Amino acid sequence: MASSRAINLLFLIGLLLVPFLWDGFVAYQLGLFLLYGMVGQGIGLCWGRAGFLPLGQALFFGVGAYIFGSVLKLEAGSLFLIAGLLAAILLPALIAFVVGFLVFIRQIGSGPYFSLITLALTMLGFQLANSMDWLTGGFNGMTGIPALPGTETYETLYYVIWAALVLVSGVLAYVGTAPFGQSLSATSQNEERLQYFGFNTALLKAIAFAISAAVAGLAGALFAPHQGIVTPQSVGFLLSAEIVVWTAVGGRASLLGPVLGAILIGFMASELRDSFQYWEVLIALVFVIVVIRFPGGLWSLAEDLAHRLPSFGAKGARERDIKIDKSRAKGPVRLAFEDVELVLGPVRILDKLSFRIETPGVHSIIGPNGAGKTSAFNVLTGRLKPTAGRIEYNRAQVGGLSRHRIARMGIARKLQIPSVFPDLSVDRNVDIALWAGDLTLAQMFTLRPFRWSTPLLNEMYDIFPFLEDGRRLAGSLSLGQRQMLDFAMTCLTQSPLLLLDEPCAGLSSSETGEMIDAIERIVGTTGSTAIIIEHDMQVVERLSNHVLVLNQGALLANGAMEEVRSDPAVQAVYGGGSK
Amino acid sequence: MELVALQALNFVYISLTLALVALGLAVVFGLLGVMNMAHGEFVMLGAYSVLVVQNAGLPLLAALPLALAVCAAFGWLLEFFVIRHLYRRPFDTLLATWGLAILMREIVEAVFGRDYKSVNQSLPGTVEVLGAVYPAYRVVLMALMVAFFAGLFLWYRRSNTGARIKAMVSNPALATAVGVNTAVLARGAFIFGVCMAGLAGVALAPLVRVEPYMGIDYLLSSFFILVVGGLGSLAGLLVGSTVIGGSDAIVSAITSKTGGYMTVLVISILFLWLRPNGIVSRD
Amino acid sequence: MKRRTLLKTSTAAALLAMTLAGPVASAFAADDPVKVGILIPQSGPGGLFGPSSKNSAELAVEEINAGGGILGRMVEPLYADVGGPPSDAIQAALKLWKGENVEAFIGMHDSAVRGALDNLFKGQVPYIYTPVYEGGECADGVYVLGETPAQQLEPVIPWMAENKGASKWYLIGNDYNWPRDTNAAAKTYIEASGGTVVGEEYLPFTADNFDSNLAKIKDSGADAVLVTLVGGASVGFNRAFASFGLSDDVTRLGTLIEENTLAGIGAENSKNLFSSAGYFANIDTEPAKKFAEAYTAKFGEDAPVLNSLGESVYDGLLLLKAIADKAGSLDVAAMDKAAEGVSYSGPRGEATLEQRHTTKDIYLAEANGADFTVVETFSKVGAGDNCQ
Repeated sequence: MASSRAINLLFLIGLLLVPFLWDGFVAYQLGLFLLYGMVGQGIGLCWGRAGFLPLGQALFFGVGAYIFGSVLKLEAGSLFLIAGLLAAILLPALIAFVVGFLVFIRQIGSGPYFSLITLALTMLGFQLANSMDWLTGGFNGMTGIPALPGTETYETLYYVIWAALVLVSGVLAYVGTAPFGQSLSATSQNEERLQYFGFNTALLKAIAFAISAAVAGLAGALFAPHQGIVTPQSVGFLLSAEIVVWTAVGGRASLLGPVLGAILIGFMASELRDSFQYWEVLIALVFVIVVIRFPGGLWSLAEDLAHRLPSFGAKGARERDIKIDKSRAKGPVRLAFEDVELVLGPVRILDKLSFRIETPGVHSIIGPNGAGKTSAFNVLTGRLKPTAGRIEYNRAQVGGLSRHRIARMGIARKLQIPSVFPDLSVDRNVDIALWAGDLTLAQMFTLRPFRWSTPLLNEMYDIFPFLEDGRRLAGSLSLGQRQMLDFAMTCLTQSPLLLLDEPCAGLSSSETGEMIDAIERIVGTTGSTAIIIEHDMQVVERLSNHVLVLNQGALLANGAMEEVRSDPAVQAVYGGGSK
Repeated sequence: MELVALQALNFVYISLTLALVALGLAVVFGLLGVMNMAHGEFVMLGAYSVLVVQNAGLPLLAALPLALAVCAAFGWLLEFFVIRHLYRRPFDTLLATWGLAILMREIVEAVFGRDYKSVNQSLPGTVEVLGAVYPAYRVVLMALMVAFFAGLFLWYRRSNTGARIKAMVSNPALATAVGVNTAVLARGAFIFGVCMAGLAGVALAPLVRVEPYMGIDYLLSSFFILVVGGLGSLAGLLVGSTVIGGSDAIVSAITSKTGGYMTVLVISILFLWLRPNGIVSRD
Repeated sequence: MKRRTLLKTSTAAALLAMTLAGPVASAFAADDPVKVGILIPQSGPGGLFGPSSKNSAELAVEEINAGGGILGRMVEPLYADVGGPPSDAIQAALKLWKGENVEAFIGMHDSAVRGALDNLFKGQVPYIYTPVYEGGECADGVYVLGETPAQQLEPVIPWMAENKGASKWYLIGNDYNWPRDTNAAAKTYIEASGGTVVGEEYLPFTADNFDSNLAKIKDSGADAVLVTLVGGASVGFNRAFASFGLSDDVTRLGTLIEENTLAGIGAENSKNLFSSAGYFANIDTEPAKKFAEAYTAKFGEDAPVLNSLGESVYDGLLLLKAIADKAGSLDVAAMDKAAEGVSYSGPRGEATLEQRHTTKDIYLAEANGADFTVVETFSKVGAGDNCQ
């Protein structure tokens, strides 16, 4: 961390010295690459951190350039100029936010659809810029844009661009370190899991997209006086794709990698263009090799080298010194399934499933494979929408609501496969659980939430001592430890209702014992209601006194363990054995 | 009446050619998940094959084996050296094939030059169809394309290649376990896809401009067709081509070509947003 | 280091103008070569014209130097690729201007790049813009060689009306400034010739299917089509046009159909296709033949085919020499003062500068298979009023 911060600073200072080391022309040329690099930094936030790739970033760049270009041409007062700059930044951000939110609310994950939408938008933007010549000057461009007042285009404007780069880098670095950035990383690693913690990931991604668009708009605004002309190419697909390429070559996941990529390829192209006929071949080759061999980009190579240097002294772990109260209004949860049906294609998965749970403690759901156990959790937590029937939680209808809203109503879920955020540290995983349902949007952009702690967390450290080694990456934990971390995270939300899907799956027998103890202890201290799906009857017997048996999507039996076991219908399904 | 017949023929023609051009990408992107930005360049290779054959004084049909051989060779090289490292990294395939597309254009430019080439119409002249005067080559091509798609449809239904590829993509480990050689199947599918692009290039060469940058024309429309129609099915491909080609043809006829182009973009955006699985969706 | 000191002195634009136009310019020793920046597209869609432009420039430089150079100094051409967007072109030009101390520029590129260069040069360095364009350029230090719509159409449309019976015109072009401006001019000439415009349409650059346009043309009953599509779109459109059998009855006139485009259109699709330009590869005049022979002799039979865009760079250098020699200087102020009325003679015939544009001969050619044959020469056609 410390060494990469040092490289970042060195890099930025090096850029500031360029006009002194070379000359104004090199600096002018570099200025353009820095502007493109800034757009790349925005792409890095979306792609490297949040996992979705915007392919039409030039749209925002071009809109910013056209807006600020026309404001400059009016040569009005400085107040007007500032308003224009703000518009050049905020309008792209607004467009991006609306587009992003509308798309992300409907689509989870990072598939190509969002990318293709942004691509189509940028093509549309190019055509509009071309056709609306009364506004933009058409293909020939908006010409005669004067210099930024107070600057010389070929001299001092570079420092303005440099300052903008520093500003953007600072903002992006801060945003990335803050809970917002950590949540974005979590989104790219496992978006659905984050939603079960009550995070509105569509909103997070839309904000990230808006930030990237604002950065592109700012870069575009400076592009207008830098070039003196804005043409539809500045909005077009080609520029969008090129900036993505530079971002990939430089390093999509690093703060300044995209800038490095833009500078390297920019200078390479400008030097080779006039001297080497097959310069495009060379650049294409460099590019293909980087994609295959160094997916982290060139910046990550530099960082790998830097990590071998002595570190400047690692910063100590943050103290968790802010006590927060996550305990919610007590009282038994009331959960009711009423004739819930779930039909997927030709398959009837839940068939008029009805049951009620109104007492605290551990309840178990058992049943053969395909009985609909996990599906019951799925319709309860918003992963699937029930085809018919009602699901009520504390008198509110939850069937069909989105995952994060249900989570925020107080239902936490642990999936069957341990689903932690592998590329985040254990501490960050724990943080996300602590933040669940309580972190406001404003707090996402402050650093205080990293210091949050709850009494339950201390108890967790007591139960699972490995959690105290908070700097380890969650992905480096053993399978058993990941199950335990996942379980701990689910409980740390202090949701009144905990859904635990096979919490002991894949655990050794001693680990299973630990887990059972943990479940008992946590449910006891928090007074919450837990529903577990379990195949192991011994686990079920030890933990709970209330068993629901599901078969073929419907409730087969419901009662205490002994009652259920003696039920002839259950015996028929289980072939008489207890497992 | 004549105008209506003409517009109807144009509509059928554009839908069929779009489907033919997008077919290769339907396999490579729809089944393998490779966002092949070099798709148009394979169409270009097909078109240049016709040029080679024509310069050698051979008939158009001789271009078919040549195009298939050239595309298969290029396809194999690309798959072996680049693509196979990148399955399941769709964005990286996009980036890598973007670079490969540049390479392929430069190679063709180095061999054939930058200038426009003209491929002769092997069937010059026009014929009258339903009262409309229509180019003879197009009429024959339309008939061939209908037959081709019908045959492909039957074969695809009967063979289980498609199912195997889908199984492989959705769960490679399981597919390997049940005895599917995923590496060979993926390579085969990729090569088949790019060969289909080459085939489209052969068919269209007499009608379009032939130059190193021609591939761009075919790339983006193919992507939009696939997402509108729905990935992974032949029916989706045909429906997508009809929607994209049809809306372009109709809006262009009523307003202007620019209007048609923007309509296609807007329709694509709406589908990508509201119905990303396409019209013919499998779930 | 030397480069850096130059730039240090160029802090203010005014100062910069002085260094280049004033004392420093005259401080170039008489035996220092004149560096001329040749800005031509070598990549991108215009890259097609890069090789013929470069060859033409080389030929011009060779001939000018053989004749004693410009102002008695040898010419040293420095090439830069301006085939990309304006931002790339500005860099390329700036590199030559500030980095290599180029004293004059010849530019063969689109109008977006011209606008960017105008803004960069701001009249501090002479700049000759050579390709066909929409007209209206009148900045200090800029001299325009290319054909304007007025030149290409004013004499040609009446000729088409008279000789080809063109009266019902359909105007089709790509959706950008040049076609729109060309068609705006065309409308006045069509009306003046007694014809009518029966349709007008603009296509996006991405258009590759022209069926709906052809149906409209057919439906409109047009007997002539003015084509202002560019490059690949023109090739595709004209091929489809002929394949529908429209070329038998409908005459086509293009204002940017040069030899490469015609090759792409193909011999079997070029019936009744006319093109209006200031140059064709086989103009049947003594200077044009001499130029074409010299070109073939130097670059071989397989050299990139000559065309009006590529050749315009040759004429651009001739024009630069003519103005500079008359002004006795490469200083913009002196050149601007001397420019009006400067004339020179080249493969295109004799041309005279008026309002920064050349009054010159315009050729109308008819496609004959894959070649053009000049069918009419209109002498001394003015470029219209460009400085309002």
